[in-house]
Amino acid sequence: MSDPAATSPLLEVRGLVKHYPGVRALDGVDFTVAAGQVHCLVGQNGAGKSTLIKCIAGLVTPTAGQILVEGAPLPLGDPATALARGVATIYQELDLVDDLTVADNLFLGHELRRGPLLDRRVARRRTTQVLERLGHPEIPPRRLVGSLPPAAKQLVSIARALTRDARLLIMDEPSAVLGRHEVETLFTVIRRLAAEGVGVVYISHRLEEVGGIGDTITVLRDGRTVASDLPASTPRADLVAAMVGRQFADVFPERDATRTLGPVVLRVEGLSRPPAVHGVSFEVREGEILGIGGLVGAGRTELLRLVAGMDHPTGGTVTVGDRLLPPGRPDIATRAGVGLAPEERKAQGLWPGWDLVRNVSVADLRRFRHRGLLDRRTERREAQRHLRDLQTSPDDPDRLVGELSGGNQQKVVLARWLLRQCRVLLLDEPTRGVDVGAKAEIYRVVQTLAAAGLAVVVVSSELAELVGLCDRILVMADGRATATLDAASATEADLLQHALPLTEEAAAP
Amino acid sequence: MSTPATLDVDAGSAAPTPQAWRRIQLQEAALPVVVVLLLVAGTITDREAFLTRDNLLTVLTQVSVTGVVAVGMTFVIATGGIDLSVGSMLAAASIAGGLAGEQQSLPFMFGAIGFGLLLGLVNGVAISYGRIVPFIATLAMFAGARGLALWMSDKTPISLLELDIVRDIGRGKTLGIPNAALVFVAVTVGGWVLLNRTRYGRHVVAVGGNREAARMAGIRLSWVVTSVYVLSGLCVGIAAVLLSGRLGSASPVSGNLLELDAIAAVVIGGTSLAGGRATITGTFLGVITFGLVFNLLNLLDMPSELQQLTKGVIILAAAALQRRDL
Repeated sequence: MSDPAATSPLLEVRGLVKHYPGVRALDGVDFTVAAGQVHCLVGQNGAGKSTLIKCIAGLVTPTAGQILVEGAPLPLGDPATALARGVATIYQELDLVDDLTVADNLFLGHELRRGPLLDRRVARRRTTQVLERLGHPEIPPRRLVGSLPPAAKQLVSIARALTRDARLLIMDEPSAVLGRHEVETLFTVIRRLAAEGVGVVYISHRLEEVGGIGDTITVLRDGRTVASDLPASTPRADLVAAMVGRQFADVFPERDATRTLGPVVLRVEGLSRPPAVHGVSFEVREGEILGIGGLVGAGRTELLRLVAGMDHPTGGTVTVGDRLLPPGRPDIATRAGVGLAPEERKAQGLWPGWDLVRNVSVADLRRFRHRGLLDRRTERREAQRHLRDLQTSPDDPDRLVGELSGGNQQKVVLARWLLRQCRVLLLDEPTRGVDVGAKAEIYRVVQTLAAAGLAVVVVSSELAELVGLCDRILVMADGRATATLDAASATEADLLQHALPLTEEAAAP
Repeated sequence: MSTPATLDVDAGSAAPTPQAWRRIQLQEAALPVVVVLLLVAGTITDREAFLTRDNLLTVLTQVSVTGVVAVGMTFVIATGGIDLSVGSMLAAASIAGGLAGEQQSLPFMFGAIGFGLLLGLVNGVAISYGRIVPFIATLAMFAGARGLALWMSDKTPISLLELDIVRDIGRGKTLGIPNAALVFVAVTVGGWVLLNRTRYGRHVVAVGGNREAARMAGIRLSWVVTSVYVLSGLCVGIAAVLLSGRLGSASPVSGNLLELDAIAAVVIGGTSLAGGRATITGTFLGVITFGLVFNLLNLLDMPSELQQLTKGVIILAAAALQRRDL
């Protein structure tokens, strides 16, 4: 299907680099898509896939590198021009307006008008034409998008890209919300467009699917292209090997293999909240670090929230010590000794406009009550002690949390739970947005806490982190626990095998 | 989506710029400056009458009803809520007090304050447990409590001329200072301590600042949210006693537009309507500012429509100052 005859490829990415403070999201990516080609992009969480497509779409300005469309450089960080040059991106969360009709959605932002009024009749006619081109004239232009099934919404998104004369279609995890038959429908449409000469970048975690739809496959790892233009027939195991790559065990402190674990502190049984979490059970002992691995969307964050009482489960129980926690009561979970450090630290875990003291003491102000009033001197002293113990920098208690780096903000949340003397610490992506040096710090802190008898649960998308930091690893896929691995012997490849959801046979042609 | 997609969340939301902090400090200093300017302007305008102890105490007395209500309102707004019903509740509380004790002061006070608490509780429960947004829940109470006041009173004011204590609270003086002013100052000080020096006050601001984080920290959201509306009801009850005492009667049409005055005072004081940042000192100064403007324009014989206009300008200017370009 690819067209090697074309002189300059439809899209060419050369040496693309994107640095965030402390993080190299992209570190030299080369990537080429020919007209009529379906090019699949795979990689672990954090490999740089999303950053790459955001750079191509113009939503993110790369630090260095070039993006060429049909041989001509694309101005960087300019979404309007990217769109005008025929680059259309269909994101995982579809950006359709549910309360508008199919036709209105297609022409949203470039409405067809007759005089000052909308020309809805022509819009509907052109909508029908585009949907016919996709082979799906059965989608009524007048229907509200919100009432359509996911696959049809997906098609509407594609149709919308086509009304803007898209030559290159970038699809980020398009199959994530689709059932098996719907995926097949999507593939038919993609093949049809490719045959018309549209280039497609297809991103997916489902490796079987990639083999089924792609002409070529490129693997990203740590922001670099590690394998490019692999044939679609590349075996799954080879792809996994390319995705996993390097080791960096040296970041992780040596563990004392002789230490003994205490009794079970946290017992989770059959915890469910569809569609995110389905009947997950596990136990954590005093002094143990349990990792929870899986891809983004596997239900890990949702699981932690259920354990902490933040959301109401539809079934299952959480027991801390010998205390059965009532569902949906974070206050009681906190009192029982559960502390959650959320992934979205600023949005969910901190008061950025407050000083460090208040952020640390907020979960346990009862301790500082003296005749009904807060004893602010003791509050400050205690908060400062915990911040120093964690080597927070700066440890000036009057600084505002919003001014701290990601790693130090994480320490503020940890200090809060230490002050609260919690027994179970739930950490959701504790090193996200944290630079490499601070990561090692946080690993050290987590291990120290475990050694002191806390039960720790760590959700992480970095497989190396799970293997290096944890004692055991629970792997989740599609809301279910798929395996429990012993971290001492587990490899990243093992983990990835269990974390990749299986699409079964149907998606392949 | 993989990790880099979420990375730019952190990268983009850098710490506030120095300019932003300067603006916040500017805003904190602005209101005292405004009050001083008003005092200076008043002194220039009318050297004899304005800057006298009597006149200033008069200002304090005039604003006492709004001021007490504004203290309660500060707690409500600190949680990110709003209470539109304070004016109607004030009328209903006055009437309830009047019905409870037409002859005796204590039953009147218990009746008024108790009814204020009850209506506040209804607001709080509707908002926290009934999950009705504060604007709508208190809008319903705004309409309902006024109706209740008119219905309970048969649309006629209740004379409270027999109630010595209540009238003394409304009009009397202690050591030359009007009792109403004393009550206002006492409520302000009490509110300040509660907000700044107790666990409860910290929880109120925590809930307004970051609901999700507050819940994760083990704070009982529904309880805190309910309580601020009850607190607002309590302040309304106290204000009902002050106003009835001053007027010598309980009127079903009293407290009209009180909610707007109270909200305006809180907001120009620097409490964030989005919640999470609250200052009782600011509220006090906000109340005083409006009182001084009113007093000054009166001394100048300005028509009342000009007073309204000035009030509008002040609110707009204060809001512009508070804008945080983060």
